Amino acid sequence: MPDFKIDIRTRLKDLGLSPLREAEIVEELSQHLEDEYERALSCGASEEEARQQVLEQLNTPELLRRELKRVEHRVSAHPVTLGAEEKINIFADLWQDLRYALRTLAKNPAFASIAIVVIALGIGANTAIFSVVNAVLLRPLPFKNPEQLVMIWENATHLGFPKNTPSPPNFLDWQRQNTVFTGMAAMSERSFNLTGVGEPERLDGRRVSANLFDLLGVPALLGRTFVPDDDRSGAHVVVLSHSLWQRRFGSDPSVIGLSVTLNGESYTVIGVMPRSVHLPAYGTWQDKLWVPIAFTNEEVTERGSHFLDVIARMKPGIALKQAQAEMETIAARLAKQYPRSNTRIGATVTPLHEEIVGDIKPALLILLGAVGFVLLIACANVANLLLARAAAREKEIALRLALGASRSRLTRQFLTESVLLAFLGAGLGLLLALAGVRVLKTFVPSMILQIQAINIDDRVLLFTASIALLTGIVFGLAPAMHALDSNLNDSLKEGGRDSAVSRKGNQLRGLLVIGEVAVSFILLIGAGLLINSFLHLRNLDPGFRTDHLLTMKVDLSELKYPDGQRRSVFFDEVLRRIRALPGVQSVAVAGNLPFTYNGDSASIAVEGIPDPPPGQWPDVIYRAIGPGYFGTMGIPVIRGRDFADQDKADSKKVVVISEKTAQHYWPGQDPIGKRLKTGATTSRAPWREVIGVVKDVRQNDFIAQPKMQMYFDYRQLKDLAANALVVRTSVEPMSLGTSVRDAIWAVDKDQPVADIDTMDHIVSEAIARQRFSMLLLGIFASLALVLAAVGIYGVMSYSVAQRTHEIGIRMALGARRTDVLKMTVKQGLKLVSVGMMLGLVAAFLLTRVLASLLFGISATDPVTFIGISLVLLAVAVLASYLPALRATKVDPIIALRAQ
Amino acid sequence: MASPVPDRELKKGSAELMILSLLEDRPRHGYEIAQLIDLRSRGAIRFNVASLYPLLYRLEKRNWIRGRWVERPGQRRRRYYRLTASGKNVLSKQRAGWREFVEAINLITGIQHA
Repeated sequence: MPDFKIDIRTRLKDLGLSPLREAEIVEELSQHLEDEYERALSCGASEEEARQQVLEQLNTPELLRRELKRVEHRVSAHPVTLGAEEKINIFADLWQDLRYALRTLAKNPAFASIAIVVIALGIGANTAIFSVVNAVLLRPLPFKNPEQLVMIWENATHLGFPKNTPSPPNFLDWQRQNTVFTGMAAMSERSFNLTGVGEPERLDGRRVSANLFDLLGVPALLGRTFVPDDDRSGAHVVVLSHSLWQRRFGSDPSVIGLSVTLNGESYTVIGVMPRSVHLPAYGTWQDKLWVPIAFTNEEVTERGSHFLDVIARMKPGIALKQAQAEMETIAARLAKQYPRSNTRIGATVTPLHEEIVGDIKPALLILLGAVGFVLLIACANVANLLLARAAAREKEIALRLALGASRSRLTRQFLTESVLLAFLGAGLGLLLALAGVRVLKTFVPSMILQIQAINIDDRVLLFTASIALLTGIVFGLAPAMHALDSNLNDSLKEGGRDSAVSRKGNQLRGLLVIGEVAVSFILLIGAGLLINSFLHLRNLDPGFRTDHLLTMKVDLSELKYPDGQRRSVFFDEVLRRIRALPGVQSVAVAGNLPFTYNGDSASIAVEGIPDPPPGQWPDVIYRAIGPGYFGTMGIPVIRGRDFADQDKADSKKVVVISEKTAQHYWPGQDPIGKRLKTGATTSRAPWREVIGVVKDVRQNDFIAQPKMQMYFDYRQLKDLAANALVVRTSVEPMSLGTSVRDAIWAVDKDQPVADIDTMDHIVSEAIARQRFSMLLLGIFASLALVLAAVGIYGVMSYSVAQRTHEIGIRMALGARRTDVLKMTVKQGLKLVSVGMMLGLVAAFLLTRVLASLLFGISATDPVTFIGISLVLLAVAVLASYLPALRATKVDPIIALRAQ
Repeated sequence: MASPVPDRELKKGSAELMILSLLEDRPRHGYEIAQLIDLRSRGAIRFNVASLYPLLYRLEKRNWIRGRWVERPGQRRRRYYRLTASGKNVLSKQRAGWREFVEAINLITGIQHA
């Protein structure tokens, strides 16, 4: 029987029929012709005659085409599958696609849930970190036009202080001489003892210029802020913070006009600030109240006394550079005018926002990058899953293409599926992020003030939605392109498993694994470096024993304890009572505790050494302490002696210096018996004899090398610099907190006791930021490692499943299990090693951004690099070993049938 | 084709009526329809595939007839057309119209009813 189909098909060629319709018509017509042919044969025609007779029917020129065109063309071909190209109705299509995608996902619950969880992990991590970035870096400060606000510092870079706190006379000159700021305000931290209402309490507070709140553009919530008149000396008015007003005054609006006792003096409450007011502060300082700064007569004359923080608002249209230039001009003028104090002192203008968030910014951005990487890995994993599924759906896709679905239409359908997956993942991720933010808040170092504001707001939601859309497209596009790039014939054939498409799919899967390994390698190296660096930090010797040490702040009131004599009476009695407590080994009076305070340093003059020229005076940190401090802290006394009972206010003035100070001023000599004083040789300060040398202690900064230090006996100081107690215990230190406090209150019931804490905890707070970065990057790197391992495992399993037939043949031909194992693991390792090489190169380049966060190791620390490589290699071997093991358990007979 | 073929226009006007009539009592496939027309017109009217099937498709589009692939054991599948409800309606109207038309022609041309 001749085949008439070709003859018919050629006549239908350019009718633009859908393939299905065309196939139907060809079938129906050819049947008809075949019937005619048989009839002609039965009527006695020869085969050739019969064929000619039948074909004649088609030969009327153009008849069939024309007739069909009239019928078939008038109504456009119905979409056989999911709509046709010509009929574009995006929303109807989208709705159809969405329903189809949901059905498809519901049919593969295992695939869907794995994909959703993987995406949720990636997006959840991103959302959580972004919510921190949003709160800390992106959200504007709660002040009016915050971009105009700056802080101004004295620039004393030659002394190691590029941002030194200005002195009052310099501040006042700046304020008077500048033309670029609408206003300039000064602040100075000061603690206040609140007494008379309930328990006595020590409060962080600040003296501020009267114009500060106007300058910030924050009105009072209740009452008023300061007016210039308050700024004159003696105006005892106070503005309360929202938290203090809530906690101590029960949010009572009638607090305005109330009289409170601060440091033994009476102040009138004139206002309450809103909750949002947070000023930049060092360490854990959090303002609870503000009083007018009201400079004293001494303060306005002492140019060498640096203790202010200065905030200014730039005039509209003034750029930071202009402000900087003008301040430098003014500083140069002052240096000429006051060479003794201002030589080489410049001025630095920095945006307020940077001051508040500057230190945490690099760490946050690195974390954001890290979670970006985690998301990439998650995408690669899901893309791999989709690829494997696309291979399984190859036939479905080929059929739909054959039935007339256009490639762009199918691509849209694929993308709808992957974006839907991404959004489902994002939904779950958002829940993870909500939980994550709660955990983050407990990890985030307390110094980030905006921490309370971290939440999932509109911007975070928008971010999540955008990355969900983006990830959906990223991990959906590759499988979609791949699936559509197929040869219909091959795909439609039965058992067409080893088609070019599958091979290409394997290549794509291999590339994804390589990428995953490379990216997780970078993350692991980053985390490894931070962990290594943190271990270095943790092992740093602070210069004293931090364990079993209880500390607390005991700020005495200057009115009640105006001199060393009275302070000593108070402290002696307190020490006597504390010593008697069970579990206490020793106790001592201390000045500002290590890592809680950044100030108290002075330049010194040394007997027998000429004063250095202006601008070259080294700074020496000083602390006021009592006898027994070194023993209690565990600071070794190297030479000479500790302070003792005989060092009283009226006896010979003495000083204990640190090793570094001794080496600087008396290299190679015995400093005991030498004399020094604060300020210049000609200053009125008394000479003090060096009686001892102690080991260097990390004092202001846990990480920086110790600076020169000296210790005074608090009883020999006019200033009230001793404000803490340290207690060495034989039991868990915090268990003694209450009894120690009660011992103090037994001596003076109005004496506030604050910040009862262990030294271990203070140290851990001092490196909280490093721990925070390390922990988070560590978590993300582990997540990346797990995801990469799952990725490798998945690809190897798939590849082994595909090669079941081949493995069966090999084993039937006598290959041993170990051979098959080796072959499969080798295949996995090939991918992993390529990924690791790429990751290694990238890590070398990228970990440099970590350099600012590292301590004690370089960004290319070989130990970390080698260690991490081994970890990743081990995980990779395991991830390809398991599928390999399964491959060897294949029964050759079954495997051979597997095709 | 040896037999005289009635004018195409005439055939075209009547073709729809012929097909609908043939499908009145039962569904038939295309070849069967062609065969029946050939047989019942004693070879006077013949359709070839190029004209029959486009016509069938047109009737189908108008929803007068409906084609359906039917498989029978031991045979290849065939497309059977059956008359739809609206096809029946059309058929009775066309029949009446055609009768009037033929009678009118007869009256004019004086051809005696056979």
